[in-house]
Amino acid sequence: MRRPLLSVAVVLTALLLQVDVVNRLRLPGGHPDLILIGVVSLALVGGPTYGTVVGFAAGFFADIVPPADHTIGRLALVYAVVGYAAGLLEDVEERSVVTTVALVGMGSALAVVIFAGVGALLGDARINATSVSHALLGAVIYDVVLAPFIVPVVSGAARRVEPAGVH
Amino acid sequence: MRDNRRARIILAMLLLTAFTLITLDYRSGGGGPLRRIGNAVFGPIETAAADVARPIGSFFASLGHLSSYKHDNDKLHKQLQAAQEQIRLHANQDAQFKDMERLLHLDQVAQFRIVAAHVIGVGSSLQFESTATIDAGSADGIRKDQTVINGDGLVGRTISVGPYTSTVLLGNDPTFSAGARLESSQEAGSVDGHGLRPMTFELLNGQGEISVGDRLVTYGDIRNSPFVPEVPIGHVTSVQPPNGTLTRTATIAPYVRFSALDVVGVVVGVGTPPKRDSLLPPSPSPTPSTPPTTPPASSSASPTVSPSNSASARKH
Repeated sequence: MRRPLLSVAVVLTALLLQVDVVNRLRLPGGHPDLILIGVVSLALVGGPTYGTVVGFAAGFFADIVPPADHTIGRLALVYAVVGYAAGLLEDVEERSVVTTVALVGMGSALAVVIFAGVGALLGDARINATSVSHALLGAVIYDVVLAPFIVPVVSGAARRVEPAGVH
Repeated sequence: MRDNRRARIILAMLLLTAFTLITLDYRSGGGGPLRRIGNAVFGPIETAAADVARPIGSFFASLGHLSSYKHDNDKLHKQLQAAQEQIRLHANQDAQFKDMERLLHLDQVAQFRIVAAHVIGVGSSLQFESTATIDAGSADGIRKDQTVINGDGLVGRTISVGPYTSTVLLGNDPTFSAGARLESSQEAGSVDGHGLRPMTFELLNGQGEISVGDRLVTYGDIRNSPFVPEVPIGHVTSVQPPNGTLTRTATIAPYVRFSALDVVGVVVGVGTPPKRDSLLPPSPSPTPSTPPTTPPASSSASPTVSPSNSASARKH
């Protein structure tokens, strides 16, 4: 049971890098979502159950880590769904880099759409056409760019600590 | 498929949990116990991580500014001084104060007690909120709904305070709103953030005078919470023509660059309340020639700078 430890390390690192470094870079057009990339990487190795649990936990922490100021539970919901969806593709053999990258891109889009949808239901003033399209574009582009570098590393580490096939 | 079925059940359970969390937090108005726990637990971790990450972040973010971090302490003092000077100058230039305003502002302009802090974290994983974490909290005297400024002007207000860190709602966030006043015509209104779109100023008086270049300061709220008066906000960049509505809207350019925040100050107190004698209409208006660098006479009025974490302030 060393994979839980690895997951905690990945999620915590992603959380801190996200708010302390990535969000402050002043990148044009948005910034990558490291937590999403981390969750997808782990889910691709661990499967849907694992992906859901890791996604929920990561999202919950992202909900309460300062300076978050949205309704708590929204990111938990978002990443749980993304983790589940990515985990479903665990068994796909010989996944190419292109497939992985496409997966991350779709996951990013899904995340923004669910987050915005729940926000719209809650009457979140931050959700409007401009902000959603901006977030969608920024997240998908940056996540797709970063995915080929992060996913193999995290997935590889997850595979090594607990070889595939052992459940 | 065995695993798949179990996964679906777990997903359903966790989604239910998430919806429960959302409902509970929504009903508590966002200040629930989980947020406090998050502040208390993750705040210090974030501060520590920021100390490690700051060189990395600033390397990428501002290659040219790397060396300046060595002089952070000096810069901090200078910025605070500049902020106070600017505020004082502003107040002095305003010879057109209405009598009531003069009474209210007379003895409190620029006598802010400030807790200085670093911005250590920004935003969320998705790009909707414009918020920042600063490395000072209730242990430093910060409370919810206090004004946050820097050398340029209004940064935002504190919305959630942990023991050692606080969350600041920045001026460009769509949920941000502050009472504001035009420097020239004294007309009041509200300044609102709109995320990616420029901030706006809504003039309450539909016939009020407003023109491009007019400067805006905060109006100030009762008990100075969330906003203290006279903090520079920005200047008007365009004015919408009167269109028959009750209010007029103008877009404004804030003085503060919200994407490049480093050292900020939280206004934890506003000097001494007006003294009895000072409530009389003053015969000579405050002269702009007063040297702005000279701190007001009483010791309590001098800027009290208490660096939140003095060790790191000295280090950088």
